[in-house]
Amino acid sequence: MAESTAGPDAVPPEAGRRDFLKILAMAGGAVGVGSVVWPLLGALTPGAGGKAQARPIINVSDIAENSAKAVQWAGLPILIRRLTDQQIAVASVVAMADLPDPAEVSSRVAPGNRHFVVVVGLNTGIPCQLEGNSPTDPRGHYDGWVCPCDGSEYDVLGRVRSGPAKYNLAIPRFTFINNNQIQLG
Amino acid sequence: MRVEAKQGWLASRVPGFTCVRDMLCESRSPGAPWLATLPTLLAAMLVLLLASGVVLAPFYDPRHAYAALQTIMRDVPGGWLVLSYHQIGASLAFALLYLHLFRILLVRGYRAPAEFGWMLWVKLLVVLLLAGWMGFVLNGGVGGHSSLFNAVNAAMLLPGIPGAVAMWVFGGASGGATLARLLVFHALLALCAAWIILMAFAADKKARPVLQGPGVPFWPIYAAQYFAALSVLALVFAVLLGFVPHWGQGTQNTIPAATAVIPAAISYPWYLTPAAGLAGAFPGVAGHICAMILAAALLYALPWLDRSRGARHGRVYMALTWLLGVDVLMLGLVTAFPMGGVLPKLLGLWFYFHFLVLTPLVTMMEAA
Repeated sequence: MAESTAGPDAVPPEAGRRDFLKILAMAGGAVGVGSVVWPLLGALTPGAGGKAQARPIINVSDIAENSAKAVQWAGLPILIRRLTDQQIAVASVVAMADLPDPAEVSSRVAPGNRHFVVVVGLNTGIPCQLEGNSPTDPRGHYDGWVCPCDGSEYDVLGRVRSGPAKYNLAIPRFTFINNNQIQLG
Repeated sequence: MRVEAKQGWLASRVPGFTCVRDMLCESRSPGAPWLATLPTLLAAMLVLLLASGVVLAPFYDPRHAYAALQTIMRDVPGGWLVLSYHQIGASLAFALLYLHLFRILLVRGYRAPAEFGWMLWVKLLVVLLLAGWMGFVLNGGVGGHSSLFNAVNAAMLLPGIPGAVAMWVFGGASGGATLARLLVFHALLALCAAWIILMAFAADKKARPVLQGPGVPFWPIYAAQYFAALSVLALVFAVLLGFVPHWGQGTQNTIPAATAVIPAAISYPWYLTPAAGLAGAFPGVAGHICAMILAAALLYALPWLDRSRGARHGRVYMALTWLLGVDVLMLGLVTAFPMGGVLPKLLGLWFYFHFLVLTPLVTMMEAA
């Protein structure tokens, strides 16, 4: 400060040192402001509880063959169904021309875990919870799910086969952590 | 479009857009005291209060205020730190404002043409005191709840239109509905404070004497001074944050509010204690309310209570101003640590005596 009072016209004798001090001060200020702002931004990101809720891990080893498990995720009923070898074989030979909303088997199941179908269990016509999780439930003509409200029928892969509904069941974001657990979201 | 062209385009359409650039290029008289940086430091604290308040608001629940604070402290990532930002920021903002007001009193910087700026600083004090009290109440502890209980009871006793307005403000007996309102008013007052301090900066700039002779440029000379002052403030902030995060906040708010618990004396945060002491100078609910309004009005009217008409400083009035500072400090202390007796009342009454009687009398005698 003291040397600055010489006025703006005076050439500073140690310009290099002054530039260094200027950069140092600005860098220090930037670090200071950044370290104050960082917790403010951090507080608004979801906490551990929120993250766990957003991406739940579901155990699928307890699902019996030919039956499905229903879980709630993001306010939606998620159906996870374990298929039999025969059901996969039957679903694989369906001609695309017979499907209102054509979809290959590979696009409906995860590679490497072809026995599991994960879908949002809401009819794509009028939104209504589907029936057919248990082998004893009504499953329609295609061994999958039926809508009790408008009678739409889906096959084991959640592809629409008949009824007012025009689209296949939605597939939520999920990943297989291992053969027994999937993580939604 | 080049930067200059953009600035020119904006400057010709938005008044005040160039104020930052003008400030940096401004020529100032050399040798400004370090204490002249106080308003800028205060503005920095207000920015921090606004930013941390915005972050805290989504996690606050007026119907479960105490539990919401526990959530912020324990569950929100870094929530304890943001809450400390807000609490220590409030402490330091009041410290800076009290210091700034006292400095204006000492240098008699409230006289024309700076009286408008002074009035704005007083307005800022009133707004911050109200916002600070609401913040204290929003904690949801015993101290805040019992202070709110007193305020709502006082509001119910007010006759006619003032009572109706007060009831509208509080929205009935002190509870979740009241805290929900206070939360909104707390935020509104914060925005008012931001607006008032901008106005005060503008008014103070207008009142600055015209530069005689060659000045020094704001950048980099005064910028360096402001940077150093901000660094000292940051250091003080960090020490408070690290070693005494709850200093001066009062202890009663660590207990959850329960209607059955009424403390014998409310332990206010330190920055509210002088105001609470002043309110207690007059007896009864109406007395407390009138005391607060009178105190603010006296500060507001100080440029006209001072009869010196621009004459030089007098020693007696200077000594009296220091005495007033000691008086306000003592008032805060006896409110924070209640001791009974006649001393608190005397300290409170001295404040009114100083402005109502001593100020006009002594300044007139010294100017003669």
